[in-house]
Amino acid sequence: MAVAVLGLLRELGLVPIRLPQNARQVPQDVLQRSLPRGALQFGFELGTGVRTYVSASAPYVLAVALLLGGQRLHVAMLAGVGFGAGRALTPLARRAAGTGDRWDADLRVRLRTITVTAGVVLVAAFSVLAVRQL
Amino acid sequence: MTRTLPWPVRAARRRGADPLVPLLLLTVGALAAAAYGHVLTWAMIGGLAGYTLSGSV
Repeated sequence: MAVAVLGLLRELGLVPIRLPQNARQVPQDVLQRSLPRGALQFGFELGTGVRTYVSASAPYVLAVALLLGGQRLHVAMLAGVGFGAGRALTPLARRAAGTGDRWDADLRVRLRTITVTAGVVLVAAFSVLAVRQL
Repeated sequence: MTRTLPWPVRAARRRGADPLVPLLLLTVGALAAAAYGHVLTWAMIGGLAGYTLSGSV
């Protein structure tokens, strides 16, 4: 839970922590060489953080919570599947909106709300889980 | 000739797919699952963590 609080404080700009990342984008020619293989490579590099920007604390909070909480493999896998689904929600919601650039602009405006709210929810959820274990 | 949806439908579609909607659903899901102590809490938290990277590629 302490890590979740630290993550929230970072999202609020109260604690300056640089998140470890390989801040590079997967080049577009990966998809041009072979679309199926390129899509697989793109998803792997993005999902595992090999080459991507990590702009929020929540993924690290989740990873640390799984590690320090001594969670079993199936729990970590559940979290991983959830993570992938969460990543997929962005393009899915964008497509569902049907407004393209307008949705992108809306996202830019709402991004801080998303990251801060997620930080609050992580603190709350871990608190509830901790209380249930008492 | 392409058919455009009526304005109320387009407006509802835009509201329903607002970037905050997945956040709301994941928030409710994570807190509800946590309240029941369900292992799905971790999947919901994972989803939330993934969604926070919406601004990253």
